Amino acid sequence: MQRTTHRRSLARPVAVSLAAAVVLTATSCAKSEDDAAGGNSSATAAGAEQKVASPAPGSKTCTVEAYGAEKIDLKSATVGFSQSEKEANPFRIAETQSIKDEAKKRGVKLLTANAQSQFSKQISDVQDLLAKGADLLVIAPLNSDGWDPVLQAAAAKKVPIVTIDRKINATACKDYVSFIASDFVEQGKRAADQMIEATGGKGEVAILLGAAGNNVTTERTKGFKDRIAEKAPELKVVFEQTGDFAREKGQQVTEQLIQSNPNIKGIYAENDEMGLGAVAALKGAGKKPGDIKIVTVDGTRNAVQGIVDGWISGVIESNPRFGPLAFQTLDTFTQGEEVAQDIVIEDGAYTKDNAKSDLGKAY
Amino acid sequence: MAELALRTPTLDKDRVLQWLQKYGVYAGVAVLLVVNIAITPHFLSAENFRTQAVQVAPVIIVALGMALVIGTEGVDLSVGAVMALSASVVALYLGYGLLPALLVVALFAAGVGLANGALVAFIGVQPIVATLALMVGGRGLALVLLPQLEDLRNPTLASLGSGDVLGFPYLILVAAVLALIVAFVVRRTTFGRQLLAIGDSRPAAQLAGLPVRRVLIIVYVVSALLAAVAGVLATARLQASDPTSLGNLMELSAITAVVVGGTPLTGGRVNIAGTVAGAVLIQLLTATLIKHDLPPSWTQIAQAVVIVAAVYAARGRGKR
Amino acid sequence: MPEEVLAVRGLGKTFPGVRALDGVDLTLHAGEVHALIGENGAGKSTLIKLLTGVYRPDEGTIVFEGREVSFATPLEAQKAGISTIYQEVNLIPLLSVARNLFLGREPRNRFGVLDMARMNREAEETLATYGVRVDVRRPLRTLGVGAQQMVALARAVATDARIVIMDEPTSSLEPREVETLFSVIRRLRDAGIAVVYVSHRLDELYAVCSTVTVLRDGRRVHHGTLAELDRLQLVSTMLGRDLGEVRTEGLTKFTGDHSAATDEPVLEAKELTAKHQLHGVSVSIRPGEVVGLGGLLGSGRTETAKAIAGALPLGSGSVTVAGVPLRAGSTPAAIRAGISLLPEDRKSEGIVPGLSVRENIALAVLPRLSRFGLVSEVKVDSIVDTFIKRLRIKASSPQQKVGELSGGNQQKVLLARWLAMNPKVLLLDEPTRGIDVGAKAEVQKLVDELAADGLGVLLISSDLEELIEGSDRVVVLKDGAVVGELSGDDVTEDNLMRAIAGSDNLQGVAADG
Repeated sequence: MQRTTHRRSLARPVAVSLAAAVVLTATSCAKSEDDAAGGNSSATAAGAEQKVASPAPGSKTCTVEAYGAEKIDLKSATVGFSQSEKEANPFRIAETQSIKDEAKKRGVKLLTANAQSQFSKQISDVQDLLAKGADLLVIAPLNSDGWDPVLQAAAAKKVPIVTIDRKINATACKDYVSFIASDFVEQGKRAADQMIEATGGKGEVAILLGAAGNNVTTERTKGFKDRIAEKAPELKVVFEQTGDFAREKGQQVTEQLIQSNPNIKGIYAENDEMGLGAVAALKGAGKKPGDIKIVTVDGTRNAVQGIVDGWISGVIESNPRFGPLAFQTLDTFTQGEEVAQDIVIEDGAYTKDNAKSDLGKAY
Repeated sequence: MAELALRTPTLDKDRVLQWLQKYGVYAGVAVLLVVNIAITPHFLSAENFRTQAVQVAPVIIVALGMALVIGTEGVDLSVGAVMALSASVVALYLGYGLLPALLVVALFAAGVGLANGALVAFIGVQPIVATLALMVGGRGLALVLLPQLEDLRNPTLASLGSGDVLGFPYLILVAAVLALIVAFVVRRTTFGRQLLAIGDSRPAAQLAGLPVRRVLIIVYVVSALLAAVAGVLATARLQASDPTSLGNLMELSAITAVVVGGTPLTGGRVNIAGTVAGAVLIQLLTATLIKHDLPPSWTQIAQAVVIVAAVYAARGRGKR
Repeated sequence: MPEEVLAVRGLGKTFPGVRALDGVDLTLHAGEVHALIGENGAGKSTLIKLLTGVYRPDEGTIVFEGREVSFATPLEAQKAGISTIYQEVNLIPLLSVARNLFLGREPRNRFGVLDMARMNREAEETLATYGVRVDVRRPLRTLGVGAQQMVALARAVATDARIVIMDEPTSSLEPREVETLFSVIRRLRDAGIAVVYVSHRLDELYAVCSTVTVLRDGRRVHHGTLAELDRLQLVSTMLGRDLGEVRTEGLTKFTGDHSAATDEPVLEAKELTAKHQLHGVSVSIRPGEVVGLGGLLGSGRTETAKAIAGALPLGSGSVTVAGVPLRAGSTPAAIRAGISLLPEDRKSEGIVPGLSVRENIALAVLPRLSRFGLVSEVKVDSIVDTFIKRLRIKASSPQQKVGELSGGNQQKVLLARWLAMNPKVLLLDEPTRGIDVGAKAEVQKLVDELAADGLGVLLISSDLEELIEGSDRVVVLKDGAVVGELSGDDVTEDNLMRAIAGSDNLQGVAADG
């Protein structure tokens, strides 16, 4: 069989300017740790709309001409959104809700589908969305690989794609327009900063790893360890076990941990649920709030409440509210202006200073 | 004669295997205890044993039901999903009080068990297929009922998860009482013996006039109810209902406990004491590897080794 | 004389403890349809498996088309030209009819790709010559069993077979399909292919076969032209009985009659009908009477017993016990009414091999020994003790697994299981098959005693002596229907064989076709 792929063979844009159009609000580039760890709450802006941390000047961009699509008016367009996992955790719920809200706000017709964590379903979901007349696609991919059939179908219909929270292995501005996500390594680094501050930079700490083989796990671990090695060599990671991103598993592993390593000073949980599991374990073992410092990543309401209650020292936000940024990107793009290929969002953080006041912003 | 010459060493090997199958699991538990006391810091403490007991209790409870199902030459893959379902239902109905909520949980679980049992007993669907349907569907239903994790603030439920009597946590007491009841049912009741006969030879049991369908259905209902008890207890301990991940892979842990405990997958025999020991063995193995901060994948490899050893010891000792 | 295709000389095969085949010869010529017959365990299937490479012979030679051969696998035999069609069709149900027909020799175009169009066309043409007109693109399993068998046959022939072996090919066919099969067999014959035809249906043998080999206990006891042998002779050869020999004195432990002819029947089965298996069988048994059920393998004896015990779904018919009608198709109901069945397949349908002697004996009666679902171990022990003593069951202890006992003791355990229920009717399907002589005599004596105590007994046995001497009356079945009944002095070997053979010249036998 002969493959009939008509890939756009257009030259890449060479001229690159700051993709200011994409940037909702101009912010300082990468935030300083001091801001995140304990700065004024308005600056950290936890829970608010996503802000763009990059692109830095000089990063690659994409335009309608380069991509080979046509200019359209977003208001009259139909946008298809393919969600990867069941909306069964706060992150996915907030993510989907944010897309829906933004579509409503802009008066754009939105089609949604949920792959229920099955990649084959996600592929057919997207094909369905195309068949139902989606002019633009926003995809939260379950996997990074295996997207060829969808990309071909979208290319045939000249439908631009923006992926959120996970990258797909394909060529930007050719197979898809832009990728919008958090920087998980950066999240790990900032969690390390919080841990250093909470423990005073000395003693033994443990990591509750996320699910094995997941890029979020590897990147959040790498960022944390790199920053510890660089800034607080006296802080030792003595324990790394997986809690599978689940609360019960986090609880069980922490129970084992605190008995075999009674000297443990802090626990870095790679998501809020495992962190809350650790809190449950500490409560069960008769510990008091603050005996063992817990730092987590995500920014769910329960975890932020944990800060208020004193059990958790800090929460690094992983902002799921992709709606405004995704639609802004599509809007800019379809009007014919440049958008960045990689858009890294800036995440907020919660500490005891802002937890109470920003609790309402947590998802 | 050549045959005789071959026989003698085989007999010795058989005897070793037989011993291993009967007592291997207890020996394994003993070895792990001794090794841990020797090399694991702070292992010999009341808190530690309490932790291990509390963590293993739900596995034991699920494995008890699994042992009965396996005794009928079946398998129940839906137990993890039933745990999730019971977590959802508890969260939904806790507003009416703990007792009414538990009643509704029992209803849901019985419904799943009935569906499994009916598929197996009346339609003749293979147990692995029948229960696979509800393994997937049960968790789906759990998530429809409660789409995300919910914190539960019910003092009675909380004390069920963390309270104790004379230093023995409720969880392990419940598991112990249930194990005694199930062992009694297997050994001393008509139902228990009919179950074993059905597992050993269903055609013979049928021709002997045994109520094969009724027994099968009851077995699957009991398995689902026990899984629901485990689900409620795990939820109580967590003080949160987590239908997404509660009971994930529980079916595998339970099957492993049963098989390692000397109950053959070919049915006709149920070893309850062995099942309890099998669950404890896996718990200790996991705890050992975690406490020594060995890579998580090692736990899985170690479990696989234990299963292979158990299956090897059981080789040729099932049905002929 | 046509060319000799196969010459088997002195073929022997021993399995642990069993001499399955002993010095058997077999010669096949091109265009010969050869009947291979014998009762269960006579060695038919062993012979077939030796010919087709499933087993290796211990001794003897197989000369196929003038060359001595030794097939390592069935595939080798098939490639050499010996095809086998089993009772169960051994094709791939989910593949299309055409794919099945051409499996392993698919036509390919010049690019080496499957030529589906050509395959479908040729498959249609081929099957049409077998009287099968179907859409060959459909999956095989959507066809009827008969049509599937034709596909298997067509496939066997198309693979350039020189010999086609058919093992009970008609067991699941409709009469019309049988006719088609016969015409195909005749075509094979005319094409010079040798056919080995295995069946228990005498009519079929006489309809298509020209020659015959009779096996008994692993030996060839007769071979020759089928026409030389009438049905009676064929049956007597098969069962190993001499026609002229009329025994006056039995070798079995059965004694005398027990029934009082005036008694009302304890069991009445009327017009039992089950698809393909039973066509209106009626049997009645009076208290104290032993009624034998005669007939060849596959005549419906076992099915009759199972139907009475509620273990076979019935199309129509009724069973009454002591005047009370039974709910059809329910084993528990039959057992409650007092019917007990010792099944033919003791190992897989009778004993529960992994459980102890004690549990096996108590199995059926358990609910009666329990209160609120709790077993009274004392009562169980007492019943188990009683029957172990009464039936002289030899086990190391009541805790020994039944699977470890000898066949005779297993049978006694089953008898004990049912006697513990105080049954009214005992259905015994081959109660002494595969058990040693001593135990056999004991079981026979026991049956006698039980009848004397007033039980109604239905006795199924392939052992003619046992049937004749054990029974007060013998009902003879053929192809799922009653073809005769012998009673009183008419219960003789001679009469029985005539009835089984279905000859018309019976005396004192009410033959109804």
